[in-house]
Amino acid sequence: MYPAVIDSYDAPTSVQEALQAFAQRGNDCHFIAGGQSLMQAIKARVISPKSLIDLQHVAELNGIEYKQGAVRIGAMTRYRDIAADERLDGAFQALRDAASHVGDRQVRNRGTIGGSLCWNYIAACMPPTCIGIGASLDLVSKTGKRSLRAEEFLQGPLETARGDDEIVVAVTLPAPRQSCGSAYKKWGLVTDALPVAGVCAFIERGDDGRCELARLAVGGLATGPRRAKTGEKALIGVSATDASAISEAAETAAASTETQSDMWADAEYRKRLIATLARQVITSAFARATRGKHS
Amino acid sequence: MKKDISITINGEIYEQSVPIRLLLVDFIRDVAGLTGTHVGCTFEGVCGACTVQVDGEAVKSCLMLAVQADGHKITTIEGLAVNGKLHPLQKAFNDHHALQCGFCSAGILMNIAEFVRTNRKSSDDEIRNALIGNLCRCTGYAHIVDAIREVAGEPASIGAAHRRNQEPTR
Repeated sequence: MYPAVIDSYDAPTSVQEALQAFAQRGNDCHFIAGGQSLMQAIKARVISPKSLIDLQHVAELNGIEYKQGAVRIGAMTRYRDIAADERLDGAFQALRDAASHVGDRQVRNRGTIGGSLCWNYIAACMPPTCIGIGASLDLVSKTGKRSLRAEEFLQGPLETARGDDEIVVAVTLPAPRQSCGSAYKKWGLVTDALPVAGVCAFIERGDDGRCELARLAVGGLATGPRRAKTGEKALIGVSATDASAISEAAETAAASTETQSDMWADAEYRKRLIATLARQVITSAFARATRGKHS
Repeated sequence: MKKDISITINGEIYEQSVPIRLLLVDFIRDVAGLTGTHVGCTFEGVCGACTVQVDGEAVKSCLMLAVQADGHKITTIEGLAVNGKLHPLQKAFNDHHALQCGFCSAGILMNIAEFVRTNRKSSDDEIRNALIGNLCRCTGYAHIVDAIREVAGEPASIGAAHRRNQEPTR
């Protein structure tokens, strides 16, 4: 497979330059990040951009910064760098769980968090993970800036709230309030395959160690990544050692999630996967929420 | 439609005007004439046969345009041996009969040469995990893992392999 003719290629070194290039190139212009999904689509001619604007040299989009507990991950930060960053452990460890099992070494060497979120592939790991850990996305265009919560940004598969002329510059994570932990796990037909289902859990524990706030996000759905809010409610007040309550919350999360049947799994089997994965990630997230009083 | 680029492959600079849609793997094979890098699955980026190193990192050259490699340094299988001396992995592949048909070998070697540079001690699980992006249709993974273990394995096995290599042939 071979890409259709591409008329122009720009490799700007700043966000401003990138936005200018987009304004000049006009229609059928695409930004390209790591290209590990986009190049497949271009080669298969699912999309045939006339112009490409490569963000690889935009240094301000790359890297992970920590400020008083809050985290800013540049959109061009690669999976390999997220997977290796132990400072994310605890509250945002789900990101490392997800990033370290995306595709394979070669894909992790080029694939980026921002690229994955903008593509929002049905079986991608970053979308449910970012919803689960409560991430927001910072977007910039010629006309201004805005910030959207991941669950507002991510819509149906391959759909996002991003305008064509907008660049996602960073994924931001608010400083966790107290003891927080998160975990992500996926299940695919072979090791590290695109998942049939993936679940992210984020747990905040109160002074007594019980769950005060929970977020559960599910990926691999025809509706796009979704929170399982009834499952989240069922976790409030639950303690880390209450295995039956955790199981029950996981079952509730699966039961309330609308699943589809496809060639990889029928709807009922997908629910079983979601329940099992949810139980596992909730348990891990509890165990990781040990900063401060529970350490 | 076309763009002037300069790519260094195995230390040699290639300056060319190329179509923007030209894939890096096709630049390597057709423009530079280095056909050791193979094309397997042709588009999904699942087979890993086209793996090369870009600035020392393993990437699939079918998922990159040649213009994206402008100004970067590429290493292909032809550049793995230095001054005619095989890379330890190449020697281990030979010793363990890990090549078989040989189609996937170049991609695996370029991927794992980076892996062993950053992972000195690796369990079999870690080695197999590092191989996820490379398909061997001979399914000869056992020999491939044996060869990699010799270079990237636990210190004990490295020592054993090293001693074996030191012994004079009888």
